[in-house]
Amino acid sequence: MSHGYQFVGWNRQKKLYDLTLLGAVLSYLLLFIVGSIVLHPDAVIDMIILRALGTCAFVLLHVILAIGPLARLDRRWLPLLYNRRHMGVTMFTLALLHGLLSLLTYHGFGDTHPLVSLFTSNTRYDSLSQFPFQPLGFFALILLFLMAATSHDFWLATLTPPIWKTLHMGVYVAYGLLLGHVGFGFLQTETHPALFGLLAAGCLTLLALHLAAAGKETKLDTQDGFQQDGEGYLKLCEVLEIPNNRGRMFFVGGDRIAVFRYDGRVSAISNACQHQNGPLGEGRVIDGLVTCPWHGFQYDPATGASPPPFTEKVPTFNLKVLNGSVWVHPNPNPPGTYVNPGLVEEPGHA
Amino acid sequence: MRKHEEDFYIGYLSSAPKGLASVTRLRILILIAFALIAGGAITALQSKFWPGVFEFGTYRDFEGMILERPYPTLLVKRPEAGDHFPYSRYLLVNPFKFGADETVQGLNGQTVSLKGQLVFQDGKTMIEVAPESVKPLGNSAEPVSLPSSEWGRHTLRGEIVDSKCYLGAMNPGNLKTHKACAVRCISGGIPPVFLVRQKEGAALYFLMVDEEGNQVNEACLPFVAEPLEITGNVRQEGGMLILYANPETYIRL
Repeated sequence: MSHGYQFVGWNRQKKLYDLTLLGAVLSYLLLFIVGSIVLHPDAVIDMIILRALGTCAFVLLHVILAIGPLARLDRRWLPLLYNRRHMGVTMFTLALLHGLLSLLTYHGFGDTHPLVSLFTSNTRYDSLSQFPFQPLGFFALILLFLMAATSHDFWLATLTPPIWKTLHMGVYVAYGLLLGHVGFGFLQTETHPALFGLLAAGCLTLLALHLAAAGKETKLDTQDGFQQDGEGYLKLCEVLEIPNNRGRMFFVGGDRIAVFRYDGRVSAISNACQHQNGPLGEGRVIDGLVTCPWHGFQYDPATGASPPPFTEKVPTFNLKVLNGSVWVHPNPNPPGTYVNPGLVEEPGHA
Repeated sequence: MRKHEEDFYIGYLSSAPKGLASVTRLRILILIAFALIAGGAITALQSKFWPGVFEFGTYRDFEGMILERPYPTLLVKRPEAGDHFPYSRYLLVNPFKFGADETVQGLNGQTVSLKGQLVFQDGKTMIEVAPESVKPLGNSAEPVSLPSSEWGRHTLRGEIVDSKCYLGAMNPGNLKTHKACAVRCISGGIPPVFLVRQKEGAALYFLMVDEEGNQVNEACLPFVAEPLEITGNVRQEGGMLILYANPETYIRL
């Protein structure tokens, strides 16, 4: 967590993350450039660099888009999610260099302004085979720029999480535009079937991962049939079904709540982290605080409030423990409202 | 239970639990391997690049006679080439994406010296003229009669390319990905060429003009880099194939 939006410390993990990312990107570029020079001695270097940058950015975008659903399916991918914005900014930088080099190479040094030429040199929007592919890349780059420029938490707080999240879902629009950019461009010049296969494999892998992750989410959101008492409380589970210092997620009243067992107590708060809607129920209680698995934002399980000086708050839910069962009222309390935790009778401590 | 606790890690902590760190390292290596395999495959699967050459940075001296039409060319004497037509004929262009019409304006038939960089492929050569290097030599050149032969009326299938990029300034200098550049070059005065690939043998290059022999740079722009069928009269003039055809009759395939 950061407060006041100062530079976050570059701990060992972050340095390793960035060094690995940089090493992987440089390895890719080196492999592509040296490989092309060796295998295609007639190719010109600016074309090789242009292709190396473009394909590297596109491959990295696939990795970025895969990490989200992978982390939903197996939380051991979460360490890669934590600094994913670094990948995003790196990918944007590669795409920007590709875009600038393309603009100069294909549209620059002529009788028309390059940006005008970008939209006027090919106007065959009526033809599938001749469809202009470069404007698609340009608009994707604009979207990627907006996301890279607003990747810092300052913008998350300024724009508010719903707007920020919506803006950053634009990555899927950018991906769609880039599929068109590659399909109507590179793959109409380079027509080896294996290249089509490679693109299809990448696209279908992402689709399969997202569908699998969505299936898991849907399964959670179709829970029903909870027993209800006269006060409107719902019997969600047995206390001992919740691992100590962990949570369980439930879908009640049209929303997700996370129930935590910790320190001989049980509390229920909203499942959505205020930072980026991370699933708090998949987090862990550390030092008495619910810790979001995505970026480590923390909340007091009894109040739903972040510890000072932080100000994030999530709704809490009234809860009681009866005969070893957890009962939760589905109506949320205002964010930050204190709720008496239910007391757990630990086995062996009777 | 123990396993669950060990799995949990937030990036702001200084180090990850051992088990999770090992799994993460392995997964990162697998992701990098996938990326490099994809990159290697794309590298290898790129199609053949044509052996065009642009002698960038190498300026040579030339002396010869300017022919302004249909596109600027330089006739350089080659006594060793025999009596039939002892000249080499080079297309002339300016740096970047501009033709040399203004550079040679008023010099038709005159002998000049100039500096330039060669662009060549497949036995076809072009000179990119260095700025302000064209110097009229003052002596009027002997009139040269260009040998010409009629090849008759033909229907050809091919693609319009800009002669500079295709010969070697860019590679690949044709097809859709190069369309924007070809449009800019031809719009800037670079001679358009109709590229016809034969099933066997070398590709044929036809310098494009209309039926009266005028330049067609503006008229051909909408058709650049698309598969076309063009019917017109073909003539060989001074070592160059020239296609005389009305741009309004170009047919998209």
